[in-house]
Amino acid sequence: MKPNAAALAQGLIRCHGCGHLSKPTRLSRKCRVCGNYLHARIPHSVQRTTALLSSSYALYIPANIFPIMTVMQLGVTEQHTILGGIMALIDKDMMPIAILVLVASILVPLLKLLGISLLLLNVHYRWQRNARLWTKLYRVIAFVGRWSMLDIFMISILVAVVDLGGVSKVIAGPASTAFAAVVVLTMFAAKSFDPRLIWDNQLE
Amino acid sequence: MKNIKLDACPECDLLLNQSSPEIGEKALCPRCGYLLYRPRKQSVERTLALSIAGFIIIFPANLLPLIGMKLLGNSHEGTLWSGVMGLFNEGMWAVAVLVLMSSILFPLTNIILSFLISAHLYFNKPNKYLGSWMRWLQHLDEWAMLEVYTLGIIVACVKLAADADLILGFGLYAFVALLVITAMLASSLDAYLFWKHIARLHEA
Ligand SMILES: [Zn+2]
Ligand SMILES: [Zn+2]
Repeated sequence: MKPNAAALAQGLIRCHGCGHLSKPTRLSRKCRVCGNYLHARIPHSVQRTTALLSSSYALYIPANIFPIMTVMQLGVTEQHTILGGIMALIDKDMMPIAILVLVASILVPLLKLLGISLLLLNVHYRWQRNARLWTKLYRVIAFVGRWSMLDIFMISILVAVVDLGGVSKVIAGPASTAFAAVVVLTMFAAKSFDPRLIWDNQLE
Repeated sequence: MKNIKLDACPECDLLLNQSSPEIGEKALCPRCGYLLYRPRKQSVERTLALSIAGFIIIFPANLLPLIGMKLLGNSHEGTLWSGVMGLFNEGMWAVAVLVLMSSILFPLTNIILSFLISAHLYFNKPNKYLGSWMRWLQHLDEWAMLEVYTLGIIVACVKLAADADLILGFGLYAFVALLVITAMLASSLDAYLFWKHIARLHEA
């Protein structure tokens, strides 16, 4: 790989909005095509990602210990946490759906939290190996983020459908707000992380 | 700056010669493997047609009942909208707003923006807002989550079918049609080509 392969080393900045490559002068810091401000890297990428990630970690706890929904059926009230809901699905022999919810509500959020933490460590300690693989990890995290909304959407549908007066009713629990916040905050964290930082640290 | 025919990879900032692959081919970043460019056939025309179709189908998909349940002689049906209202009435306004945005507002905004942009490009009409529309479209794309909502519907159906009779509403068919149209819309919209086209209109 030739040295100074980065556009930035040549004084060129790729517009974050439209991809147009330009050489900013002191007079114009705006993109000629779309009018976006030109930044070589996402401003304060590491700080913002760290802040968003810490908030997600904090909210991940209430999201998992409080009930995410309450089901009332024929006078019996049942409260489910995220994990409890998955257990209930396994008890009812609905394995494929249980696995689906397990992946979307437990594994994906964990992968995102740990994955973004590792990316931040990578940038901080300037790890030199497997930059391509780290970029792949970033891509996976950015791609899977939205699928965690599955549980929230399912609750929204159940709230709409299961409303038969005293016979049965579904109410969203306090964990749903915390869980939704985790999903949104980790999506923002992934978005504010700049994968080019991984490559900027590669010596050679 | 003389007419530069260079590009930079958005994920590793590698300086590249501008490539223009044929339709059906794709250009990958040689360093990090990022999918730089995959040209689409008749991108502007298809985006225009699909956004019109999407705009028509989004109303029945949002307002007609998706699914319903029958239990002990009582029956109740839910729509996308009543799910949002149900959450709101239970005091879960943050979750309600998130569901409203990701399943109704952002898909609608995406369709409207795709229509506005592709219509301007189709008729070669410059507009000073084209750049900001395109930027908004790229930002909001990730937050319109119809495919995740579909998965939520499937999980909700399986859960409901265990204790009650399931009713599939007409809105569900409209919703599936909307899902297919927005997926086709996302894959027909060639952002690289659109930006190049917008840049040309600006210069003319
Ligand atoms: Zn730009
Ligand atoms: Zn690259």
